[in-house]
This record gives sequence, structure tokens and C-alpha cells, in this order.
Amino acid sequence: MFVQLKNVSFHYKNTKELTIQNFSLAIEKGEIVSILGKSGSGKSTILRLIAGLEIPFSGSIHINESIMADDKQFIQPEKRGVGMVFQDYALFPHMTVAENIKFGLKKMSRIQKKERLDEVLALVGLKEYVKRYPYELSGGQQQRVALARAIAPNPSVLLFDEPFSNLDAELQIKIRDELRTILKQTGITSIFVTHDKMDARALADRVVVMEEGTIFRVGEPAEVLNNEFTMSPVPV
Amino acid sequence: MKLFRLMKLKMNSWAILSFLITIIIMMPILFITFEFFTRSSENWEHINEYLLNSYLFNTLLILFFTGLLTVFIGVSMAWFISAYDFPLRGFFKWGLILPLAIPPYIGAYTYNGILNYTGVIQSILRNFYQIEVNQKYFNIMSIPGAIFIFSVFLFPYVYLITKNFLENQSASLVENARLLGSNSFEIFFRIVIPISRASIVAGVSLVILEVLNDYGVVKYFGIQTLSTAIFQTWFGMADLGSAIKLSGILMMIVVVILMAEKWLRGRKKYSYSNSKVRPLKPVKLTGYKAWAIFAYISAVFLLSFFIPFIQLVKWTFTTYKQVLSDEFIGLIWNSTFVAFTAAAVIVVIALIIANFSRLFEGRVTNLVSKIVVLGYSIPGAVIAIGVLTLFIALDRQLLIFYQLIGLTPSLVLSLSLSMLIFAFVIRFMAIGYNSIETGFDKIGTTFTEASRTLGMTVTQTFFKVDLKMIKGAVAGGFILVFIEILKELPLTLILQPFNFYTLATKAFQYAGDERIQEAASASILIILISGVSIYIFHKVLEKEPG
Repeated sequence: MFVQLKNVSFHYKNTKELTIQNFSLAIEKGEIVSILGKSGSGKSTILRLIAGLEIPFSGSIHINESIMADDKQFIQPEKRGVGMVFQDYALFPHMTVAENIKFGLKKMSRIQKKERLDEVLALVGLKEYVKRYPYELSGGQQQRVALARAIAPNPSVLLFDEPFSNLDAELQIKIRDELRTILKQTGITSIFVTHDKMDARALADRVVVMEEGTIFRVGEPAEVLNNEFTMSPVPV
Repeated sequence: MKLFRLMKLKMNSWAILSFLITIIIMMPILFITFEFFTRSSENWEHINEYLLNSYLFNTLLILFFTGLLTVFIGVSMAWFISAYDFPLRGFFKWGLILPLAIPPYIGAYTYNGILNYTGVIQSILRNFYQIEVNQKYFNIMSIPGAIFIFSVFLFPYVYLITKNFLENQSASLVENARLLGSNSFEIFFRIVIPISRASIVAGVSLVILEVLNDYGVVKYFGIQTLSTAIFQTWFGMADLGSAIKLSGILMMIVVVILMAEKWLRGRKKYSYSNSKVRPLKPVKLTGYKAWAIFAYISAVFLLSFFIPFIQLVKWTFTTYKQVLSDEFIGLIWNSTFVAFTAAAVIVVIALIIANFSRLFEGRVTNLVSKIVVLGYSIPGAVIAIGVLTLFIALDRQLLIFYQLIGLTPSLVLSLSLSMLIFAFVIRFMAIGYNSIETGFDKIGTTFTEASRTLGMTVTQTFFKVDLKMIKGAVAGGFILVFIEILKELPLTLILQPFNFYTLATKAFQYAGDERIQEAASASILIILISGVSIYIFHKVLEKEPG
């Protein structure tokens, strides 16, 4: 298994209730998994735990056969090789598109950086925008820069937190399809969190439905999403 | 095991630095607390028996009436400005903040200069109308005079906080009361005062802390208070023990006031950031009502800013030739140097601790950030005595070292500027810290997290992302601290090295030597620079909602 969470529990500092309870999940290399759930179900917390932005209360997390977190160890987020696309993109406003994308490229010569920049820009189709600042881009373009930035350092796992929530419906469908193509093309193991069943269905190889910090259901999109269960109605 | 792991995770260089700084900042106050109970002093019995009661009585009397007056002026101004429209309202809205640019000690000697025998009022009466007035009625150098000075120059604290509250938070309540047929007086006493209680308390406690911090006004007016007593026991009797005891008592008053503030304010915050801010729409007034309010506000504005300011400008024109010399340039250099150094230290420390406390939230970090800003409520004289005690003790410890490297004097640190700068850092940390904390709050933690998932450590992220994104707040904090230090008086008076003067202490010295007019140039400079600070604070840092 490429990404493995075993009996992970977690609670935020100001609450005693467990946000995540005994959560276990194994993901294969190259798989695209979507975590579906209402707000407050703990789905974003799972991403934060994998990224190393939160420290699990108990349980263990492994990526590519190395321990990321257990009772004895904790690997800091910068050492994990995990990329993340944030809900509001978190593009650094004081840097251009090129600077944003090159930010995570370390230990590379200037020429190598430039090559990598061109590569990922071609992937997301934003070559003409290198010198723009984030506020000079549309929402969809910002989204793609965020993706390019996360892909650039060649992460072993890519995490998406509600990646389409800031886009209008039409753009959402377009970018969703593009995203699936890009992810399959690069073969990066990906996990994305959403509250939208259509997103999950269109993107994922496997869907995990979460409720109150635990897994409610797992399976292929068709089998999980076609059955009736206690979820909010499918948005039209 | 888990606890150990958590500790290891959190004990990074940010945490270690933050704890170290916090301990150093706490030292002087811990010293005072410790010495308060242990050190004996020969004069203390005498002071305690014969003098302490009158010190306390005068201090509390001034506090009480200043509090009352500032509430009266501040709240009425806030209500008129936010609820009514009358001639020059737009001007007064900002103009009423201007008195804050005049430090009360400058206001005190300016008013004395206006009112005394050679002053402009008596001269005109004498020369043009042959009227000799009874000096008794023109003597401002008394307790009521001090209350007047504090009230006219400090009421903007109450005005500002209450006005912001009324303008932004009270619309629905006030409009409902109007619809229910209440008249203006009913609205004011039954709605406005109760709902703005928390803001009034917040404003008046700032006023009270300023009054407790003051040394200039009471010293110049010859009033015996706790802060003048601290100066006398130290400078007059070189009795550090008694100074420490008096400082301890002053600290207790501060603690009581902070507790009272908390209790009176209740669980309400004086400003809750509500995204749905609906401003109160002022009612247009006409006829005698409009002019009555205009007259009242104009009178306050004239007394609290215009008259003293014009007087100082006039004196500056008559004396600048004598005053503007190399010495004056030297004063500007001294002031700028200490203010710049201390402000730079404050900004660096504030960045370290604010970043630490936002990235590693928890009870301990919360405590650290509270301790760091404590200095702002501690009167300057108390901090000065604490720092002095600490540095003298340090010098004793270092005595052998001094002899080793061949230094003859036994006091090195306690005669140096480092002592003054250290005291400034403690006293004004809160201003820099709050500004930087606001900056961090605005950017949130997502950018930092994004940077870390892209392979940067906390420290790399700080330099490449965080610092660049909050540079506005850093600059703002730096300027505010810089200006606050420029006009500071009591700390500087106690801790300035021999023959070292700043603009503020020199102006105060001139005034004390009956050379009020010569104090004008330095005073005007201080007021103009403070004006810049007020502008930055209210226009740039706190963008008005709505």
C-alpha cells in the first residue's frame, strides 16, 4: 500500500470530542481517491493529518513504506513530499506565477527550475501567464496555478481540499475533467476532499464516504453513489 | 511517551527564543515583587506614617475626577458625532482625536504659560483694559488644574472607542428606540449609555493608566502623588528600597484597575467584528439645536487642541532662533537614536513571539503573549525602578568581570543607554506586538501551511512568505512604537544617562526652569510627529468599516 492510515484518532485543541475516530484507509499507488462528506465530518482533517499539518492523537500514518507519524515519530510537513492544493489556493500574493511555482523547487539548478516550470505550465496550459501576479488571474487560472505549484516538486501524494468550491458550475465541470486527465497523465496518487457527489463520481477511482470522523462507506463510485444512503441530496 | 514526543515537536528554536525573551521581560517586575517584600529601608517608616496617605489621596482624587470628566466629555462627543449631523461634523470627527497628539505634560506647561502673569490673557487684560486679576483664579497649578489637563488631553480615548462602537454596532437598537417614540434624552440615557458600557470602560481604563503613568503634569504642578514620590525617594534620597515599595503600591492600583475593568466590562468585548456592520445614520439637525452642539464641540476642540497648539506655534516663532542650535540637533539625534533602536528591538521580538504563538497555539503560548504585552499597563516609573534594580544587581554580579578586563567603574550597565532601551522595550512592546499580531491575523495560516507542504521549514517560511506578507503591519508597528518613545517622559527621566537628554526631557527641563517659551520648539516637533502616528493608526492600520 502506498498511503496507509491505521486507527488514526485526532481531536482539535479546544475540544475533547474526537474529530477523527479510529480511521483506517489504504490507498494504492496512482489511485485517485475522493473523500466525500458533509462539513464537520472530518474529511479535511484527514488531509491535514496526511500532510503533517496536524499531529495525530493515536494511530499511525505511512507513505511509501516510511513512517510519517506514529507514537514515537512525527515527520514535519516539509519533509513528507506531499503536495496540497488548498481550498482558497493560498497562492503567495507577493510572488508571480513563476515564482509561486518555483517556490517548492529546491536543490535544482536555475536551468532545471526553468525546465520544470515550463513543463508544469504546459500541463495546466498557462504558459503566457508566468509573469502575472495571482490577483491578475481569474479563479480558474488561480486554481490551475495552485495545481501546477503543488505538482512541480514531484510529490508522492497530492491532496486537494475542496478544489472546486470557489469556481462557478460550468468552470467546475471543465476543470474537473482536465484535472482527471492531468492526474492520470502524471500518475500521482491523489486524494481529494469534496462535499459534491458529482465531483467524486467524475474524478475518483474509489470513494470514501465519511460521517462523524469515521468511514461510513467505501467503494467504487458507481456502487457507492448509486445506492440510497443518508447523505444530503445530490446537488443539481 | 506521547508527552515527550509532543514536547520534542514543539521545542524548536522559536519556542526557546520566545521563552527566553519572556523571562527577560518579566525580570524587572519579578524583581520589584520580590524586593517589595524583602528589602527594608530606613525612610519607609517615615513615608508610610506621614506621607503615603496624602500621596494615595491625591493620586486617587485625580484618577476619580479625570475618569468622570473624560467619560462625560468622551461619551457626549461620541454620541453627538455618531447620531447627529451639524455644521463641521466631518471635521470634528477627526479633529477630536488630535488632542492625543499633545502629551499632557506639554499641555500642562502650555496652559500655565497662557494663564500666568506674563501670559497672553493677563497681558492683554493689563495692557489694554488696565485690569489686574486675582492670581488665585488664574493659577492652574493645582489638583483641579491637573484634572482639567488630563481630561482635555485624554478624553479622546473614551471618545474614539465609544464612537466606533456607536457608529458601527448600535444602528438597529437606536433606530428601534426612535421608532418606539423615545426622545433624544431617553435614547441617550436608557439605550446609548448601557449598550456602550464595555467601550466606555475600555476607554476610561486607558485614560486611568495614562494618568497613573504620568509624571510630567503632577511634577510640574507640584502635586504629591505616588509617581512623584517614586522620583523623590530615588533622586532626592537615593532610597531604592522606598522607591520599590511605592512602585509596588502603584502596581497594586494598576492590578485593581485592570480587574475592575474586566469585571465592569463583563463578558462583552468592546468591538466584535461583525461582518454585517450597518452604520448608524446621523440625523440632520437645524436651528438652535445644531448650533448648541456645534458650540459645545467647538469649545472642547479649542481647549483641547487649538488654543495650546496655536500658543506653542507662536512661542516657537519667537524663540526658535535661540533654541535651534547644535544642541537641538543633538536632541533630535538622541531621541531618534533611542527610539529607533528600541523600536527595532521591539519589532524583532514581537515578530518572534507573535509567530510562535500563532503557529503553536495552546495555553502556554497564550500566556507568553499575555505576559509580553503586560508592560503597557505598568506605569513608566515602576518599570524604571524595576529595570534599575535589575541592572544594579547585574553590575554587582559582573564586578569581577569588569575588574578582569580592567574597567574601573563599578557601574557599567546601569549607567548606559542599554538600560533605557531595555525599559522602552518592556513598556512599549504591546504597541508593536498588537500591530504585528493583527498583521498575522489578517493573513491567517494557510499561506504558511502551503509553504510547508512545498518543502520549507517554519523558519524558511517565515522569511520567504510570512514576513513579506505582513511588512505593512511591521512598518506600522515600528512607526507607532518609535513615536510613542519619542514623547515618553517618566522612564526617560529616571533612566537617561548623565548629560543625555531627549526632546521630551529637554522640553520638560526648560518648562521646569520657567523657560516655557523655549520648550515650544521641541514640543511642536513632538506634537507634529505624534500627529503622524495618529494618522497612521487610524487611517492606515484600522480601516474604518462601512
